[in-house]
Amino acid sequence: MRIKSASSTIPEVDMTPMIDVVFQLLAFFMMISNFEQSEADERVSLPKDQLAKPPENKRENSVVLNFGFERDKDGKVLDPNPYLFFGDEKFTVQSVANRLRQESQFYSTIGTDLADVTIEIRADQGVKTGMVQELIQLCQEEGIGFQRFALKATQKVE
Amino acid sequence: MKIRNRNAGTTKIEVPMAPMIDVVFQLLIFFMLTLKIVAPEGDFSINMPLGVPSQSAVTDADLPPFRVRMEADPQTGELVQLLFNGNALGNDPRQAFPLLNREVMRAVEALKATGPGNLDKQEVEIDPDYGLKYEYIIAAISSCSGRMENGKVIPFISKIKFAPIRQEQ
Repeated sequence: MRIKSASSTIPEVDMTPMIDVVFQLLAFFMMISNFEQSEADERVSLPKDQLAKPPENKRENSVVLNFGFERDKDGKVLDPNPYLFFGDEKFTVQSVANRLRQESQFYSTIGTDLADVTIEIRADQGVKTGMVQELIQLCQEEGIGFQRFALKATQKVE
Repeated sequence: MKIRNRNAGTTKIEVPMAPMIDVVFQLLIFFMLTLKIVAPEGDFSINMPLGVPSQSAVTDADLPPFRVRMEADPQTGELVQLLFNGNALGNDPRQAFPLLNREVMRAVEALKATGPGNLDKQEVEIDPDYGLKYEYIIAAISSCSGRMENGKVIPFISKIKFAPIRQEQ
């Protein structure tokens, strides 16, 4: 009896190496993705300093205040007055008190001592220092009452 | 004629790989698109006195704080003069801040000689003009808080505070 040989065989592609590479890439991108700095606003251009190292222990309770200028796509300053950015909202130092009061009340409601909450100030390198000082003073005012402060900078590698 | 089935008994079960590859590709594309390369950020802690700023001067009568005075050009906000305990260190940021760093190191060494606990009590008070650019504050805080040697940080003073706000000129 004659055995008919298949004339149109489908060549099997070995997928294993491709899957290996794809998994490697996936693992790489998962490791490198940083969701923690999602509170950082791109409009703020932080000052650079070589001693500014990320803290070894992450703070449990912190409020990030982004204080910078409105910029266009190229990073050019559009408005000389700095603003505090909370997502799409923006406030001046004079008008941010209510927002800070809300943050303070939130921590009081969940039973966290305000002495354990750090205000992390991400101020633009071109902001007037007096305004940052006013912001710190505002955070300490009665009805807000934050006590711990940290000033953010980008790590400069030389 | 009898055709013998060679694979009888040991059938290989084929696992469908296509759905898994689909999902893995989806995940890969998601992570590639959400990737945002940002430089690592660090921070400097600031000790702010509670209540009225004038109280702060009374807290440690034995050790007056090191005073870093920073004068600014009211128009541009650039550094005009940097003073450490009244000694002028110049106005060029590239030279003045390393000088400040050296001065603080000397002061810290002198302080260490007086007693082991004194360094922890010592404060630095930064007194800038209202209009000074904020980047100079970070440079001053960095110069006072430590020194980088061979990739390691040698800490100087950790208690850093601001003087009361000066009026805008």
